[in-house]
Amino acid sequence: MSRDPYNATVRRHFANPLHAGVLQPRYPDVVTAEARESDSGFRVVLGAELDGRMMRRLRYRVFGCPHLIAAAELSCARFEGGTVESLRDVSVAELMERLEVPVEKTGRMLLLEDAARLLAAAMQDIIGRGQADETSPGEPTGM
Amino acid sequence: MNSKAAPNASDAVYLDNAATTPLDPAVAAVMCRSLSRHGAFANPASIHIAGRASAHVVERARSQLADLVQTDPRNLIFTSGATESNNLAIVGAAHFRSHRGRHLITMPTEHKAVTDTFAALERQGFEVTWLQPDREGVLATGDLESAIRDDTQLVSIMHVNNETGVVQDIRDIGECCRRRGVLFHCDAAQSIGKLPIDLSALPIDMMSITAHKFHGPQGIGALYVADRPHCHIQPLFHGGGQERRIRPGTLAVHQIVGFGEAAAIAAERQQRDLAHLQALNDRLWRGISGLPGVLRNGSASRSFPGILNASVEDIEGESLLLALEPVCVASGSACNSRSGESSYVLRALGRDDHLAQSAIRFSFGRFTRDSDIDTAIVRYNEAVRHLRGIMPTRAA
Repeated sequence: MSRDPYNATVRRHFANPLHAGVLQPRYPDVVTAEARESDSGFRVVLGAELDGRMMRRLRYRVFGCPHLIAAAELSCARFEGGTVESLRDVSVAELMERLEVPVEKTGRMLLLEDAARLLAAAMQDIIGRGQADETSPGEPTGM
Repeated sequence: MNSKAAPNASDAVYLDNAATTPLDPAVAAVMCRSLSRHGAFANPASIHIAGRASAHVVERARSQLADLVQTDPRNLIFTSGATESNNLAIVGAAHFRSHRGRHLITMPTEHKAVTDTFAALERQGFEVTWLQPDREGVLATGDLESAIRDDTQLVSIMHVNNETGVVQDIRDIGECCRRRGVLFHCDAAQSIGKLPIDLSALPIDMMSITAHKFHGPQGIGALYVADRPHCHIQPLFHGGGQERRIRPGTLAVHQIVGFGEAAAIAAERQQRDLAHLQALNDRLWRGISGLPGVLRNGSASRSFPGILNASVEDIEGESLLLALEPVCVASGSACNSRSGESSYVLRALGRDDHLAQSAIRFSFGRFTRDSDIDTAIVRYNEAVRHLRGIMPTRAA
């Protein structure tokens, strides 16, 4: 027998994808990362606009099912405005429980975790390079 | 909205008539009469007066169905539906003729009730040739001719494809089978009552039909078995003498009565219904084909107008299905299949996974209104726009 595969949270975020979109690539403020599953084509692209160690804006593009879209929307809403390090707290297990995601979708849900970790690493890299530049002797500070 | 609340079917815009159709009110009326204390409730195998009354209405329904497909009523065996009819025809014929040879022919684009049955026969030692259609879903009869061998016993090709609506040339296929002395079974679940079928003129040995695809009740179907030498099948079930001992079991009288009534209505309305379906199909295609990236699946010139199957680039199918609510359609996406794969029919037609999983099958019926199509057009356009704001393009 068929039951509604989507709970109210999934339906709400699917219908109102406030964080869907692409950030204009204004290097070095904007960082993007992507994870994809080659067989199915499922894909998560995350973008962050940095403000020091803070993520001023977070955006996503998802090729995937309503559960994955809702998970990306929830994550962006939660972590936007937070520190780069906080992005490592994206938890697929927690999202799957909240969104009542069927277990067979675990693989595609992990794409979100992968993309978040890649984004966090890319942002750390940029921040690290910036700090190195600031401490390099003889380099102009730009101030 | 509380997603746990019971869904209300009256909110639905129902465009999934290839899955099942709503009962015609006239069919519901005769079924209700049959189910009443004063109706034909008795076992038609009983020889008492009540049993004979039931047998009478069963035979009248058989005649109504026979009139629809232009055959002798004695050639029709009632079953529980097309799945059973397909199994009975394919397994029954393959086993009956296995002493002559064990080679069978079908297509990978057939309904699962056929492909899974052939796969089961393969596991029993039969050899199956799976003929590929062209990119529009049409079987070239020359390919069939080449595939038939001296030990070939059975060919099974459907009339109208349940996903794309593509119509096979069953006359040509049947003539090819007759020339080579091979039995031809045709799954006509999607065409029965909707397209003209004249079994007195068509070279078909067995045909599977079902009631619920043309406004009859669910749970009742029939298998046509031609009255020809060598056209015999082994029963799948044992336990009684009903239905020429080929399909034993107490007959479901009220369903059979409904089946007969649906057949009588279809015979009378067929041309009008067909014109209505064509107008709905044209209206919908005009409304959605202007969207960038929308592609029709299956041959436009050789499709049954009750089905329109379209894919759209860079849109994921399960999300499209949700965004289309309350329009009820079928999707080619993995979420719509028990196998967890995108439509095997569309992949067999050369669509890649991306396009196959974005496919939506719209299917219409006698009770579909222009306003239903207009709602579907608005929802489809909105849904694609909504999802294009979320989904990256393949090239990006």
